[in-house]
Amino acid sequence: MNTPTTCPTRSVLFLMLFAPGVNIVAAPLDEPLKPLPDIAKQDPKRVELGRRLFQDPRLSVNNSLSCASCHQLDKNGADSRALSLGFDGQPVAVNTPTVLNASLNFRQFWDGRVETLEEQSNVVITSPHEMGNDWNTVVQRIADDPGYRQSFNTAYPDAVTKANIQNALTSYERTLLTPGSRFDQYLLGNTDILTLDEKYGYQRFKDYGCIACHQGVNIGGNMYQKFGVFGDYIADRGNPTVADQGRFNVTGDENDRAVFKVPSLRNVALTAPYFHDGSAPTLERAVDVMFQYQLGRMPSEQDKALIIEFLKTLTGHWEGQP
Amino acid sequence: MMKTVSGRRSLLLLSLLAVLLASILVFLYLKSSSEQTTTYTESRDLIRQIKQQDSQWESEVLKSRVAITHNYDPLISPMNEMNRLWARFESMESGHGRDESTQWADAHERYLDARQEKARLVEQFKSHNALLRNSLAFLPSAEDDIQAQLANLSDLDKIQLQNIVTDTYDLLLSALEFAQVASADKASDIEVGLNKLAVNAQRLPAVFQTPIRILSNHIALILREQPIVNRLLDQIEAIPVDERLDTITNMLDLDQQQAERTDQKYHFYLLLFSVLLMLSLLWLAIRLIRSFAEINRVNAALQTANDVLEQRVDERTRELKNVQSELLDAARQAGMAEIATNVLHNVGNVLNSVNISSDLISRKLRSSKALGLGKAMQLINEHPDDLGSFLTEDAKGKLLPGYLNQLVGAIAQEQQEMADELTQMNKSVDHIKDIVATQQSYAGANSMTEPLYINELLEDALRMNAGALTRHHVTVVKEYGDVPQVMGDKHRLLLILINLISNAKYAMSDLSNRPRTMTLGVKIVDDGFLEISVRDDGEGIAPENMTRIFAHGFTTRKDGHGFGLHSCALAAIEMNGHLTAHSDGPGLGALFTLQIPLITVTENA
Repeated sequence: MNTPTTCPTRSVLFLMLFAPGVNIVAAPLDEPLKPLPDIAKQDPKRVELGRRLFQDPRLSVNNSLSCASCHQLDKNGADSRALSLGFDGQPVAVNTPTVLNASLNFRQFWDGRVETLEEQSNVVITSPHEMGNDWNTVVQRIADDPGYRQSFNTAYPDAVTKANIQNALTSYERTLLTPGSRFDQYLLGNTDILTLDEKYGYQRFKDYGCIACHQGVNIGGNMYQKFGVFGDYIADRGNPTVADQGRFNVTGDENDRAVFKVPSLRNVALTAPYFHDGSAPTLERAVDVMFQYQLGRMPSEQDKALIIEFLKTLTGHWEGQP
Repeated sequence: MMKTVSGRRSLLLLSLLAVLLASILVFLYLKSSSEQTTTYTESRDLIRQIKQQDSQWESEVLKSRVAITHNYDPLISPMNEMNRLWARFESMESGHGRDESTQWADAHERYLDARQEKARLVEQFKSHNALLRNSLAFLPSAEDDIQAQLANLSDLDKIQLQNIVTDTYDLLLSALEFAQVASADKASDIEVGLNKLAVNAQRLPAVFQTPIRILSNHIALILREQPIVNRLLDQIEAIPVDERLDTITNMLDLDQQQAERTDQKYHFYLLLFSVLLMLSLLWLAIRLIRSFAEINRVNAALQTANDVLEQRVDERTRELKNVQSELLDAARQAGMAEIATNVLHNVGNVLNSVNISSDLISRKLRSSKALGLGKAMQLINEHPDDLGSFLTEDAKGKLLPGYLNQLVGAIAQEQQEMADELTQMNKSVDHIKDIVATQQSYAGANSMTEPLYINELLEDALRMNAGALTRHHVTVVKEYGDVPQVMGDKHRLLLILINLISNAKYAMSDLSNRPRTMTLGVKIVDDGFLEISVRDDGEGIAPENMTRIFAHGFTTRKDGHGFGLHSCALAAIEMNGHLTAHSDGPGLGALFTLQIPLITVTENA
């Protein structure tokens, strides 16, 4: 007969213990945009191997390109060129998307032709325009390096294989998240971190319908969309290429013509030039194109400026860099 | 015997049968292990989870359809989760070896196709739905932009303006209705409205052109996208992912039922073979208990036989002991007889001299000069009155004193001679006493050590054989070393020595062509042993007899009893010594050597 009296006491104690925590940390906001998740726990030996491989030009057939040659980590994982140069010095078909937060995209590449990062590394390494290599050569080169061989032996039960190289690369890529953006802090409940203009900018971002596509944890990167809903951007730009056909190249479906993966807007202020063809050199230009061809609306200059203010709050941190 | 063999064989067969049954049981157990059941439950659970994710997916699609959420992440995670669960399901099923049948492969293929198609449609839905939602959300404010400007217009015909306002409003309503029910009627209403708006736009100032164009564009988009979104939704709903999963579940169920029936069969067999095993083990146990009893019985019989045998051996031993003690007695008596013979010989020899002495004395007494004294006294007695004159005058009388004087001298000499002879006789008697005393001291003496000079002991032994040795003309050579007084068992030593000397004497009895020589030796060897040797140059010992010369009952003599050397060897061993024999062969003599531990008297004291 004691339990009915002790039980409430205990739950009161329980509440008292947790109540201060609730007060200190403000409740996260329930928004269509979601904060970055934590970096998944991975074998540090494999991550380190991936880091080395990522910087290793031996992955390309003529030892000229590493992953980091185009996904320049000091340039937010992207290339400042509209089109990066392949191993043969010729420009590749599409603009290099950033590797940062790439693991959060639902598909890889602009046309979303692969589902996994592993497959992405395979396509790039064996692409005749990008690294131009084949796996036998890659595995041979890596296995011939005593340093790599030893590291692989300790990190993997079956030493140097194609699958292990891919696993190491993707393990590393999964660590390339950029947490701590001001907007993420805002989403986590620290609503004071954004200025009034930035908050207005976010409001405009939602009101104008940017949010229809750029939403979720990666603020984009979770759906396909036709580029040029109101008007034909590619025709207006001129010189259409095969790559401009987007997902049509993958599915062959007429409906998928000029359909691309919606890119993430995280760190968007730092990843110019923009779009699959790198045709927008500035954020302003990109926002203009989006309004004209995607939203079919004419914003006021002030609203556009506010939205750009907001977009700049999406810049996170990677290894201490903005 | 046949019975045991067949019994053993049947026991072996039985054991083999038990082992066979046990291995069958193990096999059945392994076969019937519930792995199938666990994979079944897990597989079913995975399929159920996939189904859950599928309906989650659909509900997220519907949520996006009614614009509850702007976040499309929830439309991706169910698909990823389905992929992950499917991969687990696949690996588990392939681990189970079930994916071999075409039926399975087919079911899997069809599910994957359905899911792929559904994913494709969902992606299209996402794109189109995003556009549609966006335009629908924008529609009221786009219309507001126009209406607000229209309100500011004053230079236009009121009625015309009113018509434009109404047309625009109707268009908006039509578009919104179309969003609810995308019928062909509504679609044509919208198209009519769009045309009206285009006509109206021409009557309006330039500032209206852009807002009207934007509104028209968005309404056109709604007109285009709404049917697409509706169609996609229908298609998504029609994708039979659910049914495909149900098919797989049904197949799993069927498989499981089959497995359960097999299991039941296995269980039945398990039970059957368990019972058989139990029975065979029981039988084995009974057989074992029986054979154990048999072993016990045989053991008991053996025990009894053993006891009887032991008893008999005891009896025999006792008999042997008796015989031995009889023999021992016989030997002792024989030995005693020999000793007695020797003693009597010696005593006889000495008695001879005693006899001679007594003869001599009696002859001396018979021819004693004392008789002359009687004749003289007779003369004197014939002349009792005139003794004086007789002595002085009578011719005979005058010679009497001179005669008496001569007689005194003769008697004195006679007495001296007789006394000498008596002394000689006494000595002989003493000798006899000695011999007898020696014999008595040896006969029946115990194993007692006493201080003794070994040379004297040898002399005693020789003396006891002296008669025989003399009779057989044996020359005794003595090679006595310098040996101190020792502690020894006089009786045993003497027994051995007498025997050895006697044997040596016998060994030389057939020797006629050369002198018979017996050599007695005494010396100390290795500082710790006293060695006494008796060597003869007699008939020797044949090599084949060498090994059994000390054996009980061995003899080469006609009248021998084969006990002498045996008892000698025993006596030597009793004294912690040993007796060895050596011979260069028949006719080359023999050497017997007795070695006993040397215990000098001074040492002992």
